[in-house]
Parts: sequence; structure tokens; C-alpha cells
Amino acid sequence: MDNLNLRRHISGQFNSELDNIRNRVLMMGGLVEKQLTDAIEAISTLNQSLAEQVINNDRKVNSYEVLIDEECTRIIAKRQPAAGDLRLIFAISKTVADLERIGDSAKQLANVALEKNASKQGHLLVSLENLGRHCIALLHDVLDCFARMDLDCAFEVHGKDVLIDAQYESLMRELMTYMMEDPRAIPSVMEVMWAARSLERVGDRVQNIAEYVIYFIKGKDIRHLDTEQIAELRD
Amino acid sequence: MINLEPLTNEQPRVDLANLSDADTAFAIENLDLYYGDKKALSDVSMRIPKGQVTAFIGPSGCGKSTLLRSLNRMNDLIDNCRIEGNILLEQQNIFDRHVDVATLRRKVGMVFQRPNPFPKSIYENVVYGLRLQGVKDRRRLDQAVEESLRGAALWDEVKDRLHDNALGLSGGQQQRLVIARAIAIEPEVLLLDEPTSALDPISTLVIEELITELKQKFTVVIVTHNMQQAARVSDNTAFMYMGELIEYNDTNTLFTTPSKKQTEDYITGRYG
Repeated sequence: MDNLNLRRHISGQFNSELDNIRNRVLMMGGLVEKQLTDAIEAISTLNQSLAEQVINNDRKVNSYEVLIDEECTRIIAKRQPAAGDLRLIFAISKTVADLERIGDSAKQLANVALEKNASKQGHLLVSLENLGRHCIALLHDVLDCFARMDLDCAFEVHGKDVLIDAQYESLMRELMTYMMEDPRAIPSVMEVMWAARSLERVGDRVQNIAEYVIYFIKGKDIRHLDTEQIAELRD
Repeated sequence: MINLEPLTNEQPRVDLANLSDADTAFAIENLDLYYGDKKALSDVSMRIPKGQVTAFIGPSGCGKSTLLRSLNRMNDLIDNCRIEGNILLEQQNIFDRHVDVATLRRKVGMVFQRPNPFPKSIYENVVYGLRLQGVKDRRRLDQAVEESLRGAALWDEVKDRLHDNALGLSGGQQQRLVIARAIAIEPEVLLLDEPTSALDPISTLVIEELITELKQKFTVVIVTHNMQQAARVSDNTAFMYMGELIEYNDTNTLFTTPSKKQTEDYITGRYG
């Protein structure tokens, strides 16, 4: 909280507006995290009603995005934020876009859980569940970075996406082996593949959010930089 | 779409077009104003809600100050000024023959562009209006001084030198003193005519913060050249151009999605 200096504007009104909007992002993050957790749970236990609940709740995630973006527009129009405040508003607006997309991934996963073919793939779902747990942990960490505006934490999360990518690669190889072994399994393996693909995307979006946190704190845009350049910035 | 509770802690938006009499501070009806042959305001109708901050914006000469000054009949002092139409303050026409201008101005206080404290002590500046009303009770005056100066966010800075000359204060402090003087007589409405245009940015922000505090107790009407200021402090904004009221809406809407092209051009700095 301290490194945000949110309470130090002369305008108390502006302070509370920034405070409110930040809290809303964290609430949205909490909801998305729960959505993803429920979706993974629904897949691994083939719990249909939980899957339906995730699909329904996605509308709530969408409403959060719209509401927070509206508030960002309003703050820009009314307060003309500068420097750190301006970066915060931008970071928030971009973060909610990525959170919303993570919400969409959760919904997609829930749809997989509802597929009839999925039940035939119990053994595959275990590896998927593992990948999912990794993604949830990473999302949790990045929300934590956002809440504390913690630079080190953000860099750490940013570096961890490669682990998700590696796990995704190995899952892909595994799935391809199954397809080669038994072509009749292809439709159901494909379902798992789509699910894995959306989880891999979740990892990318978490990485994006870490980038926005870094942008807010350092004022440096680290998108599209290679690892060495990022390491240099970190020091 | 699921409805989430609104984000801001602002008051709920009022419907300016259908404001009830009880919620209206001023109802301006078909107001025309002429300086000699020149028509300065033409057919202005609007309702200014109670307990909120309403801002008038527009380019120089658009009539916003004229409109503000009409609200406590400051234009009476101008020789060839002629007014048609009505302004109702709590359903009473302020141009009515029975209305005493001094009483009206006690209800409708005003603060000008340049701070204009009297060359007297800080204390005497604040109690000036009360003394005019014949208040002599020392305790009551002391109390009014503390309350008004606190209300104007000046108390902590001057409480140890209340009997020093007011002209020794900084510009921003003087302006807050003038606001304290205006609220000491407990008006219903405060008119602010570009209250910060002679002040530095920090004093400006202090006054702006003060304005949001003031609306808890008073209706505030502010004229400002600085449209960002209008965006920051006001609940409702009226955009005027060439003596006409072009658009009047709640500030959030007016500054994010104005309905008239002229308003959009003005607030985005394309003319004016």
C-alpha cells in the first residue's frame, strides 16, 4: 500500500476513487481465480453442475470488466491523472482485459467438462489437472503482486511462465502419443488438447498482468523484450 | 449483464430535467438578459439542484458569469441591464418587487475571482456580516469564527493569529478567508465566480477539495474557465455558448459522452 501513495493526494475524493477501483480489480481477480479453480475441479471430478455454475458466473466477470473500464474512463476525464496515477489507470484497464480473458478460459474449460467424450479420458484429465493447478497458483501470485504492487514478486511471476509452457509442451507430446496409438480416441483427446491450450493461454495472460505491474512501478514497458534485457532492468 | 453496485461514493445522479421543487435550489425559467441592445443571455431555462455543485463552463463572453451574477441580482448594479424571465429561489421569484435584495444576498453568498478581504483583522473579516446583522454576543461571534474558518479549511493555519491583518495572508489563504466570510452568515447557496483563477495550483486543489466539503451544507454554483476544474469539482455541468445554454447534464456524462457536437468540441479543446 505504501509504495502506491494512494492516500497522498490533496483531493480526498480522488484518493477514494483510486482506492475503490483498485479494490474492484482485486475483487474481480478473486472471482476469476475462483472460476478457474472451479473449472479445473469440474473437469477432474466431471461435476456437471459445478461446470454450469462456472459458465453462468462468467457474466459476472464480464460485468466487472465493463464497470471497471467505465470507471477508468471517468477518472481520466475528470481527474486528468498524471505520472504514477496515469500508469495505474492504464495498468488497471489492461489488467481487467486480461482477467476477463482468463475468465473466458475458465468458461471454456467448464464446457470441456460438460462434453460427453471427456469422461472417457480419465487418465488424461490427471495431467490436465496438474497444469491447471500450476496456472491457478501463478494467477494467485500475480494478484498478490498487484495487491501489494511488489516489483520483485512481479518479476518472479513473469519468469515462471516458461514452466507452464514446458508443462504444456510435454502434455502435448503425451496427447499425440495417445492419438497415434488409437485413432478412435482422437475426438476425445482433442477436447483435452483444447483445454490444455486455454490453460497455456492463462499462463501468458498472467505474464501480461505481471508486465503491467512492472510498468506501473518502474514506468518501463517490458513487453516484447528478451530475457537478458529484462534481467538488466531488474537490477 | 449482472448489476454490480456502483463504484463511486458520489450521490446518485439526479434527473435534471424533472427535478422536483423540493430538490431545486434555483429554477431559471426562460431567462433573457440584455446589456443595452446586446442580448447576453437568451432563453436560458434550467434547474439547479440543492446540495450539489453545479458548474457553468464556456468560452469568454458566453454569458456564464452574467448568469451566475443574475442569481443574486448583482446585475441590478449595471445601468442598462434588462432582464426578462424568472429565477425562482425556493419557488419565490427573486425579481419580485417584494424581494429585498439584501435578504436575497444573505441567502445567496458570492465569492469573486480575486480574493477581496477587507483591510481588517482575520477575525473581523469573518464576523463582518454577522455584525451587520446586529449580532453582538461575543461567544456567538467567536463560535462563528471558528466554525466558518474550519468550514473553509483555514482554521489550523490562522488560529493563532486571528487578530492579524487579513492582507498578510497568502492569496490562497485570502480566498479561503473570503469563503469563510461568505459562509459565516449561513447562506443557502454559494456562488463562486472563478474562485481559483488568481491562485497557484496547490491552493487551487485545496479550494477544490473545500468545494466538495461545502456541498454537504450548501448548494454551490461555480463559474470556471478551467474545464478540468469543472470536471473535478462539480456534480452537474452546464455548457454555454453565445448566451445560450447548449448542454446541461451530470458531469460524468457531459465529460465522457456529451450529446452535442459543440460541447464535445469545446471540452476537447477544438474551439472556444
